[in-house]
Amino acid sequence: MPDLSARPGPGRLQPTRRRAGQALLALGAAAAWPAALQAAPDAQALLAQSDAIRNPSQPFKVTVPLSEFEKGVQVNTTTLLSLARTLEAGGQFASLVRFVQPVRDAGKVMLKNGSDLWFYDPGTKSAVRISPQQRLMGQAANGDVVTVNFARDYQATVAAEETVRDGEKQTRKSYKLMLTASGNDATYGSIELWVDASSSAPIKARFFAESGRLLKTAFYRKFQSQLGADRPTETVIIDGLDPQAVTLVRLSDYGARNVPTSWFQRDYLPRFSAE
Amino acid sequence: MRPPFKPALIVLALASALARAADDDDALDLKTADPAPAAATQAATGPRLTLELAALQARGQAGQGSDSGHRAAVDLRWAGKLTEQWRFGLSNRLDDMHPVLPGQRSTRHHLREAYLGWQSGGGQRSVDAGRINQRHGPAYSYNPTDFFRRGATRSVVTADPIALRENRTGTFMLRGSQLWDGGGASLAWAPQLTRSGRENSTFSLDLDGTNGTDRLVLTVNAKASDRWSGEALWMVEEGRSPRLGLNLTGLVSDAAVVHAEWSMARSARLVDTALGGVAPRTRHHQATMGLTYSLPSGLSVTAEAAYNGAGLNRADWQQLFAQGQAPVGALFSAAQADQELAARRAWMLYATQKGVLLKQLDVTAFVRQNAVDHSHIAWAELRYHWPRFDLALQWQRGSGKAGTEYGALPYRQVVQLVGSAYF
Repeated sequence: MPDLSARPGPGRLQPTRRRAGQALLALGAAAAWPAALQAAPDAQALLAQSDAIRNPSQPFKVTVPLSEFEKGVQVNTTTLLSLARTLEAGGQFASLVRFVQPVRDAGKVMLKNGSDLWFYDPGTKSAVRISPQQRLMGQAANGDVVTVNFARDYQATVAAEETVRDGEKQTRKSYKLMLTASGNDATYGSIELWVDASSSAPIKARFFAESGRLLKTAFYRKFQSQLGADRPTETVIIDGLDPQAVTLVRLSDYGARNVPTSWFQRDYLPRFSAE
Repeated sequence: MRPPFKPALIVLALASALARAADDDDALDLKTADPAPAAATQAATGPRLTLELAALQARGQAGQGSDSGHRAAVDLRWAGKLTEQWRFGLSNRLDDMHPVLPGQRSTRHHLREAYLGWQSGGGQRSVDAGRINQRHGPAYSYNPTDFFRRGATRSVVTADPIALRENRTGTFMLRGSQLWDGGGASLAWAPQLTRSGRENSTFSLDLDGTNGTDRLVLTVNAKASDRWSGEALWMVEEGRSPRLGLNLTGLVSDAAVVHAEWSMARSARLVDTALGGVAPRTRHHQATMGLTYSLPSGLSVTAEAAYNGAGLNRADWQQLFAQGQAPVGALFSAAQADQELAARRAWMLYATQKGVLLKQLDVTAFVRQNAVDHSHIAWAELRYHWPRFDLALQWQRGSGKAGTEYGALPYRQVVQLVGSAYF
């Protein structure tokens, strides 16, 4: 393979050719990793381990800035404060999400507790039940900003052992898991999830509607030590229909925060401040 | 049989994969120019101030001329914590409108909220005192279970029923609440604070509207499942019959939410009140039912049917208009301030679409029809967002014969340009 970057040439074309070369390498690598791991791993256990890396097991708070890009240009910014905890019934996370920015939306609150999804606007004093499909903030889906344990809502099988390029453009040995919705609370029809072969850390995911249409691709990256484990602090979400529509979700200022379970209901929303 | 064009299909698949990988690379190279999250969070605390400027052009009914007008508003909202257990809320608005109807003030201040609150360490118990905007009911167009809505809307700057809620004034009350897992209850006592009639000074507290009688309101909420929840309300009011209310919401699919409200009390018919004669009290039901459907594209559509047993039927409308403009004006004015449904039956279609053509451009539109006299009003808004500024173009048109609810609007068509700056 020639070193494209070392050759003089038209500067504007060079990055495109380099990307095409990298993509070819990645495709080749993906196909070339033989069955190096002999024992068939437990897919559901891998999924649960991956969940435990994405999400702290204890109740926590986190700041979530979302940056939306259109054709490479940043067009929208939203900052959220999220409180999440698992509830005794079912073990799934419940989330309370407060809008911080933009200023026009500051103070608005979203609650997700299973299929119980509410949106509260302090301006109109209205708590409105919303459907999982209803959008509150531009391109980002409600499911992109709340904490979800996939293992609870999806049944996993190991589809392949692959070498895959991660969000830092490095190649990683991985298990490709096929997740199919196993309950009514599942947001997506199915998910392809690549997890690191040795650590089970999430690398990449492709989310599909029940019809089989690709909804989005997500890369988990910038792993940092947060609340006792190395966790992804950035997710790059690429729209399935329009790859030029990209949302960068950052997770920062993790902290332990134990709040009562009674907060995760409609009546508490007017009083929720997240401070 | 050999599949045709197999090499071509492989090349196409490879090209598609290459393009996708190149798109992924573009996405992974993106960098944000936003400040550090901690700084952003700090910047959003404190009071929120909104300045609003609007200019409008209104076309009168057939044979009448056109009018132009303008308005300005300063809107302040501030809610925060004093200590871990004590909190406060302050919300007010100053409107300056030109022109205004005869007898109204062009400059009006509205104290929407001013309260002090205490909550227990876990937040399950709370007590609040002061002017509080306590709102109930999931419906969009008409809320029979919003028991504190009467006399609470004095600043009408839009026909959009959702946006209009932002101008609703709170009621002075003492309120205690208790929450438990999956439900809660609250008891609010709103005392009578004035016996005088309509106040119309610039800095009036509008106590005649919000605290003209003693009221006690009990609410109990319960969640039947993740998908269904409801609320029961009971109000006792000085000089009026007790009112009972129920509302519920349900998620029927990943894209559809249904809602319903019902209330019942012995009350006077609106037409009798407007005509000023004897107004006997009989049992009346009020109800609203609706469904909201959302598409993956970001389009949400709500269809709603509303019923007011005390509202006007066809004969009532004819009787009202036969009495001249004064009772008609009195009815519309009271219905607006009380957010009451004047017609016996009505329906509404309400739609919002985020990111139309441009990411920052939202469209909202609705059609509301009086199902008794078949007059209707249509309203649409294009709203473009900048980080701290919104520009909205609003269009409104009332249609109907003379002697109908929307045919009697003073203006047939209104176009309004609104700029809002957020601080």
